[in-house]
Amino acid sequence: MNHVITEQEKLQAPVNQQVSFESGNEMAAKAAAQINYHIMGYFPITPSTEIAQYLDQMKAKGEHDIKLIPADGEHGSAGICYGASVSGARVFNATSANGFLFMLEQLPVQSGTRFPMVLNLVTRAVSGPLDIRGDHSDLYFALNTGWVILTANTPQAVYDLNIMALKVAEHRDVRLPVIVAYDGFFTSHQKRKVLSFKDREVVTEFVGERPADFPNAIDKNNPVTIGAHMNGDDLIHNNYQQSQAMYHADKVFEEIQEEYEKLSGRSYPTIETYAMEDAEAAVFLINSAAETAKDVVDRYRKQGKKVGVITPNMIRPFPKEAMKEALKNVKAVLVGERADSYGANGANMTLEIKSALQELSGAQPVVLSRVFGVGGKDFYEQDAEVFFDDALEAAETSVAAKPFDYHGIHAGDKKQRLLPVIEPQTGSFDTGLIKVTHDAETDQLKVKVPPLRQLMSKPKRIASGHGACPGCGIFPGLELFFKGIEGDVMVLFQTGCGYVVSAAYPHTSHKQTFIHNLFQNGAATLSGTVEAFYEIKRRGEVEIGDDFTFVMVTGDGGMDIGMGSAIGTSLRNHGMIIVEYDNEGYMNTGSQQSYSTPIGHMTSTSNVGKNQKGKAFHHKDTPQIMAATNIPYVFTGTEAYPQDLIKKAAKAQWYAKHEGLVYGKLLITCPLNWKSEERYGQRIIKAAVDSCFFPLYEVEKGKTTITYNPEAKNKREPVSEWLKYLGKAKHMLKPEHEQLYRAFEIEVDKRWNRLKAKHECEYL
Amino acid sequence: MTILPKTNALGFFEIRLESIGGLGANLAGKMLAEAGVLGHGLNGSNFSSYGSEKKGTPVKAFIRFCNPEVEIRAHSPIEEPHVIGVFHEALYKTVDVTSGLQPDGIVLVNSERSMEEVKEELELHHGTLAVIDAMNIAVEENSRLNTAMLGALYRVLGFLDADNMRDVIRQTFEKKYPHLVEANLRTFNRGYEEVQFQSFETLNAVQKQFERKLPRLGYETQEIGGIISAQANSIEKDLSGSRQGFLPAFEQEKCINCTHCDTVCPDFCFVWEEGEDKRGRKQMFLQGIDYNYCKGCLKCVEVCPTSALTEIRETLGFSDENRVKQPFPYTEGVMR
Repeated sequence: MNHVITEQEKLQAPVNQQVSFESGNEMAAKAAAQINYHIMGYFPITPSTEIAQYLDQMKAKGEHDIKLIPADGEHGSAGICYGASVSGARVFNATSANGFLFMLEQLPVQSGTRFPMVLNLVTRAVSGPLDIRGDHSDLYFALNTGWVILTANTPQAVYDLNIMALKVAEHRDVRLPVIVAYDGFFTSHQKRKVLSFKDREVVTEFVGERPADFPNAIDKNNPVTIGAHMNGDDLIHNNYQQSQAMYHADKVFEEIQEEYEKLSGRSYPTIETYAMEDAEAAVFLINSAAETAKDVVDRYRKQGKKVGVITPNMIRPFPKEAMKEALKNVKAVLVGERADSYGANGANMTLEIKSALQELSGAQPVVLSRVFGVGGKDFYEQDAEVFFDDALEAAETSVAAKPFDYHGIHAGDKKQRLLPVIEPQTGSFDTGLIKVTHDAETDQLKVKVPPLRQLMSKPKRIASGHGACPGCGIFPGLELFFKGIEGDVMVLFQTGCGYVVSAAYPHTSHKQTFIHNLFQNGAATLSGTVEAFYEIKRRGEVEIGDDFTFVMVTGDGGMDIGMGSAIGTSLRNHGMIIVEYDNEGYMNTGSQQSYSTPIGHMTSTSNVGKNQKGKAFHHKDTPQIMAATNIPYVFTGTEAYPQDLIKKAAKAQWYAKHEGLVYGKLLITCPLNWKSEERYGQRIIKAAVDSCFFPLYEVEKGKTTITYNPEAKNKREPVSEWLKYLGKAKHMLKPEHEQLYRAFEIEVDKRWNRLKAKHECEYL
Repeated sequence: MTILPKTNALGFFEIRLESIGGLGANLAGKMLAEAGVLGHGLNGSNFSSYGSEKKGTPVKAFIRFCNPEVEIRAHSPIEEPHVIGVFHEALYKTVDVTSGLQPDGIVLVNSERSMEEVKEELELHHGTLAVIDAMNIAVEENSRLNTAMLGALYRVLGFLDADNMRDVIRQTFEKKYPHLVEANLRTFNRGYEEVQFQSFETLNAVQKQFERKLPRLGYETQEIGGIISAQANSIEKDLSGSRQGFLPAFEQEKCINCTHCDTVCPDFCFVWEEGEDKRGRKQMFLQGIDYNYCKGCLKCVEVCPTSALTEIRETLGFSDENRVKQPFPYTEGVMR
């Protein structure tokens, strides 16, 4: 519900509430902070990421005690949450879209073993094609997880339902995890005037003490077994208990929301009706779209049209009785859904409403179903008008002219089709200027790279017109690498900035074939492509030259969530190259910390404040992890040392074609989130190399070679010479952070010295 | 109690800010909305255009104000605003910034040009035009242009108390950056004082047209699965609107063709051509810059070992006159 807060009501609020101007994500974070959950395990994904960011900001200032754990992916975050909840802790999480689907496997475990927690699902379109904006395709996957699902139409409802959610989850008749779902961007990011309790104690008192009378994993005196496997004879009882608990949640929620209304002055019936008393035609909508429809109802009512809106605050359990009550006198209802259940002749809410209406005695309303507003497609008043007009017509004629349809589509103009703009440049990437030869006697590669000037004749593989920020280091880094590769490539970009800015439909900045897959799975995906290519070729089904190099491009974020896939692919040793551009954070989603963020560095989830000093642990040493899989070739490179990088790329190509998998890491600048000067890109990267934070080296069939040693050239600098350029790390140079700086320096030295030892001894 | 000068059918006074990522329009919109709601007892909402837009790409910020008893249910973008704030003139090329302006609406533009020039370019025949050289104020005060725009907005809006915003600015900076308080207050005040405005005949004024554009492709013309068979078609884009006032200038006589600029350029703007050196050997020579794609990061200027590349303040027409086009292998029939 969207309650108007008048000046008068402000004074009348039953307990001391404060007015603020905040978004849905801010309100979710505020509720979580006031509840003071024990644990939040999370992984960033738009548009839910802000919740963890706001909580981290508050944490830095000492405003709550929630332990925020940055997981390695959503599956990991769900694991953290489950592990914490079996300990009896109060647990919170937030996610969206494919993040939700990635943790889906864990959700029935949470509900089936009956451990309460609260998850905010900030709804967004599920890939693919990837779309970061809002719809309910992720929410519909939640319907069968066994979690209670509350839906919040407004930022105010996000706050209120979050407070009620935990109480529902922990209620002894329920004991189930709860999802609070609200619309990505429309509700998560729009700021509204909202009320919240001034005093945290009001919230904690309402929610009550965490229940201590259920078995948990950390009660030494009462050891228990959690998660024994069952057979059907037993599982059916577990399911029955769970089913009963779910149905209880309806009544429990009603009780809790009545209690909350007394406290807050705001009420949340399971099914909210608007102008439904005498309505002949109704529109059912989940979340924000329902608010727009109410404006149209006001207008239509003035014209004498008997229309109303139905919108739920709960969809699991499905409030069947309330729905029947709301619709019993209606002649037609249009169910608008921001997702489809392909092939079901209407998406999930249509089917559930139809099923509830079956139980009505007498004439049933005509039901129309419309899929609309997917992927964040706006829902204007004019769209709501179409819905009401269709419903009114059906009410009039008692016939569903079109029972199921999509709203908001158009056929398109054939003249506007996408046509090729440039000729394929296949073949033109072979300059013959770069030569790699294998010396069979020494088993060494000899690489000949011409002066860079000659290579200017080689076309770029990525086209101008991509949407990266000014001064972005991704593309110069990648193009330098590609300069060293002769012939044609097929690239796969995992999700990240590089992908998002170079393949935004209907545009692409790729001249050669490009594939995207989500970043927990890019390495496996490309390994499938490689093997299929060779198998199809082996069978003689395609005529294609040998000079095809497979390259996977990832950010450092993709090497966090996709580490398992990358290691598995490395162990299988496919003939392909993995190139990582490392900008030390999840920059595409707004600069959250990655495992590659150095200690102390400030990101949106590692804020600097009196209680926290940036990232808590050291940066990940990905090249060493990858080298430990014993792949034939591992390298590091940067745009600051172009010849070095081109040479390594040439070697990488040789190894990918002859021996197996190659991994390379490029350190690149992200001026926006490093808070550095765009123009100093190369200078900053050079300082990272010369300070030995990012040594240039290669591991060739197990043997480490430092390819550029700043000490030998008398160019070694302290790490402060690198940090001084970075707004995200400048605080580390202040006297009060000396310890932090020292810790970083010691770690850099330790890794550098180890590398030198490896360079000296081929057995290390 | 604050009185809104006018409202639309739903009771809203609506403001749209047109900018590119990185200029702080989003923050200005937030501060404005927050001040209206928390400082003046209005109801309101505020949001931005959403997407994966990066710094330098067009963005919009929206502010809705209404009387406290009005419930805000609309969450769609503002299409027919009462006030439009344009933070970046280079946007005109790609964005219809005045789309949907109300007949008696106000357009505030950050520009160093004259009222007449701006009016002509915007084809503004009604309402009020306000012009402020926010960029210049920001440079002079060593602050940010969004604060100057905010000052000017306060002046043209008229119904909000500027002292309230001065307090907000003071509070915002006082704690963390006390040395910036005065510069930001001066920036705000100069925006407020220096903005020039002029109203035009509103007799028979018609609202600026707006259209909800259909996407280029539809279900009959979009390849299944979202596949694109038009590789590298991003070259059809014009990214010059991403620049924030500066660009590199190239003097070929001083160039030694060292390739440093090409190596660091994120946007592949440098154009090379094969020629013969003094000894008659084939060599690559740098021809110039394709400014269509240059975002003005100036990395090239920084690495140039000679003075062939220099940083200059961008003037109108410079990039068009000096652009050296990339020789892409266009297919037949495509405009070059």
